[in-house]
Amino acid sequence: MASTTETKQKKMLILKSADNDEFEIEESVGVQSETIKNLVEDGFTFVPLPNVYTKALIKIIDYLKKHANKTDSNDEEIKTFDKDFVNTTFDDLFELVSAANYLHISCLMNMLCQTIADRIKDKSPEAVRKIFHINCDYTPEEEAKIRKANAQAFEGQFDESLD
Amino acid sequence: MSHSFPEQVLKHLFSFLTSDKDRNSLSLVCKLWYEVERRCRRSVFIGNCYAVSPEILIRRFPEIRSLNLKGKPHFADFNLVPEGWGAYVHPWVAAMSRSYPWLEEIKLKRMVVSDESLELISTSFEHFKVLVLLSCEGFTTDGLAAIASNCRNLRELDLGESEVEDLSSDWLSHFPDSCTSLVSLNISCLGSEISFSDLERLIARSPNLKTLRLSQAVPLEKIPDLLCCASQLVEFGTGAYSSEMRSDISSNLEEAFSGCERLEGLSGFWDVVPAYLPAVYPVCSRLISLNLSYATIQNPDLDKLISQCHNLQRLWVLDYIEDTGLQLVAASCKDLQELRVFPSDPFGPEPNVLLTEQGLVAVSDGCPKLQTVLYFCRQMTNAALVTIARNRPNMIRFRLCILEPRTPDYLTLEPLDAGFGAIVEQCKELRRLSLSGLLTDRVFEYIGTHAKKLEMLSVAFAGDSDLGLHHVLSGCESLRKLEIRDCPFGDEALLANAAKLETMRSLWMSSCSVSFGACKLLSQKMPRLNIEVIDEMGPPDERPESCPVNKLYIYRTVAGPRFDMPGYVRIMNEEAAP
Repeated sequence: MASTTETKQKKMLILKSADNDEFEIEESVGVQSETIKNLVEDGFTFVPLPNVYTKALIKIIDYLKKHANKTDSNDEEIKTFDKDFVNTTFDDLFELVSAANYLHISCLMNMLCQTIADRIKDKSPEAVRKIFHINCDYTPEEEAKIRKANAQAFEGQFDESLD
Repeated sequence: MSHSFPEQVLKHLFSFLTSDKDRNSLSLVCKLWYEVERRCRRSVFIGNCYAVSPEILIRRFPEIRSLNLKGKPHFADFNLVPEGWGAYVHPWVAAMSRSYPWLEEIKLKRMVVSDESLELISTSFEHFKVLVLLSCEGFTTDGLAAIASNCRNLRELDLGESEVEDLSSDWLSHFPDSCTSLVSLNISCLGSEISFSDLERLIARSPNLKTLRLSQAVPLEKIPDLLCCASQLVEFGTGAYSSEMRSDISSNLEEAFSGCERLEGLSGFWDVVPAYLPAVYPVCSRLISLNLSYATIQNPDLDKLISQCHNLQRLWVLDYIEDTGLQLVAASCKDLQELRVFPSDPFGPEPNVLLTEQGLVAVSDGCPKLQTVLYFCRQMTNAALVTIARNRPNMIRFRLCILEPRTPDYLTLEPLDAGFGAIVEQCKELRRLSLSGLLTDRVFEYIGTHAKKLEMLSVAFAGDSDLGLHHVLSGCESLRKLEIRDCPFGDEALLANAAKLETMRSLWMSSCSVSFGACKLLSQKMPRLNIEVIDEMGPPDERPESCPVNKLYIYRTVAGPRFDMPGYVRIMNEEAAP
């Protein structure tokens, strides 16, 4: 029953999180996600997101809204928003990365991965395991072998400028 | 949590971690990460071509795009590594040509590169972009012609300080007309004529060219034409900077340089005729880097040039600059980070210039950002070194070469122990140190105690006993490379610190006091080290075991003993293997 008045209204989408909360957003905001865009192009207006939990979805919708309103003049404002956005725990970042990956939002994906990378730079394998909640599945012998190859063959550059 | 990360997310995350150190850490987290990491590692640096084999590299990292590989020991620069020692790149190129079709970059240092290797490189990698050959040898302009002909997307060709045999002057003509991708071309090491018209055409069709370093064979009068079609250059190395004085050349030059608005670095200036120097004055204030190490200009022309370069961060210069010139640098170059002063007459018995410790003291006082020094001189004092250390605790690389070995503090006639001691004590971030002058074991005690971040140490004609070496090996916990010549260091210190050698990339000792017997013992103790005894006088086992070996090169390896050594190299491991 599309009337002319309705088409002038903004098109809306309903996103449904993995824990069954529903969020209404403008289509123009949602289509920054490739996943949503594909569904919209197929005519969907109700988008179930079985891999994205409410907590992450709320943050991501915030992000999409902010970035949908990008203009020449609010560059600084968006930078500040992004900085606050990633200023959170590793576990939250992981949750967001999974969601951004599922939703195919590449600029968000890059920002999150860059943030995580910056924060694990120069960390020991042990520290990285702890951050990612990973159990080491190497035997001590296997680990020692890789450690040795890394150190002896692929040690990387030190200050080569004067050698 | 991470186990829910799909592989592509891990890959994406890993792509933001590019240092070898970080990538190595990732590989140790768990087996999945090891697998993902190794399959998406794109670039690798190998500091010693004999520490690993091409097969091991390829098995572990199947998708490499960029290889950076180093060959001979650093002392090869001082002719201490005999001809034919090794560091052949061909096995690497052959293996990579089969396994890395997408390889884009090869950067080599101190390796032997044949024309055959260059031809194979030129035909094996469809998207090949970068070839850097620093201090390499073994190839000719025919090999370069193959690279020019076949590498259609070449971005960078840097021949560093390589020794290239010139067979033809027309190799530049092999760059096809469609080649417009060059960003960097360094042919400064080439000796003979090159075809100027080929060069000019190549440069004219390279709109992205940022770095151009010409050889001596390019005459000064050609430079204006070249610069006019390359005004986007950031780094420019002139060829021979001489010609009969003609005012039209001078004004053309000046106009050409003035047109290069992005120029930040100048080098070259062979056979410089001072009268042409004012042509570069218009760009001096923009220069960040100035390499005059081939320019035999003297004062006042040198002073006049440098006094206009207020923004220099890097200055390489011959000792013609003298103390007065360095005082000028100290007063005007407030951003200077790196200073290298080379000797104009290293073998002359008497000083030919007035360059003393005072020049370096002045720069250390006047240039607050100075952190890299290479300084050749003929006299030094402890007091000067103490002042330099106090002035510049931010020093990272300090190489002092007093030309005459075992020269004491010329005022007190004391050894320079206290002076170098002050350097290592004050400069907490020091990573590179070269010693010279009269030095006793005491200086090594200072180094072992204070130089905790030192990564590379060069020593010549120093110390009095094993204790010196012992202090360094037991104290310098970050040490990666140690090179020693003509020091009385022997068996005891080496054997006592055998385990330390596995934490280092390499140890070079020539004309020291290590016996052949100790090398044998060491190889039994540390079977995973390659212990190379290099002796051109004949097999070392024909002499008593207590005889000192001539040259010794020890390095860790995961590839085992090498098989390409010449007759005068004996690797101890084979005989020591149980």
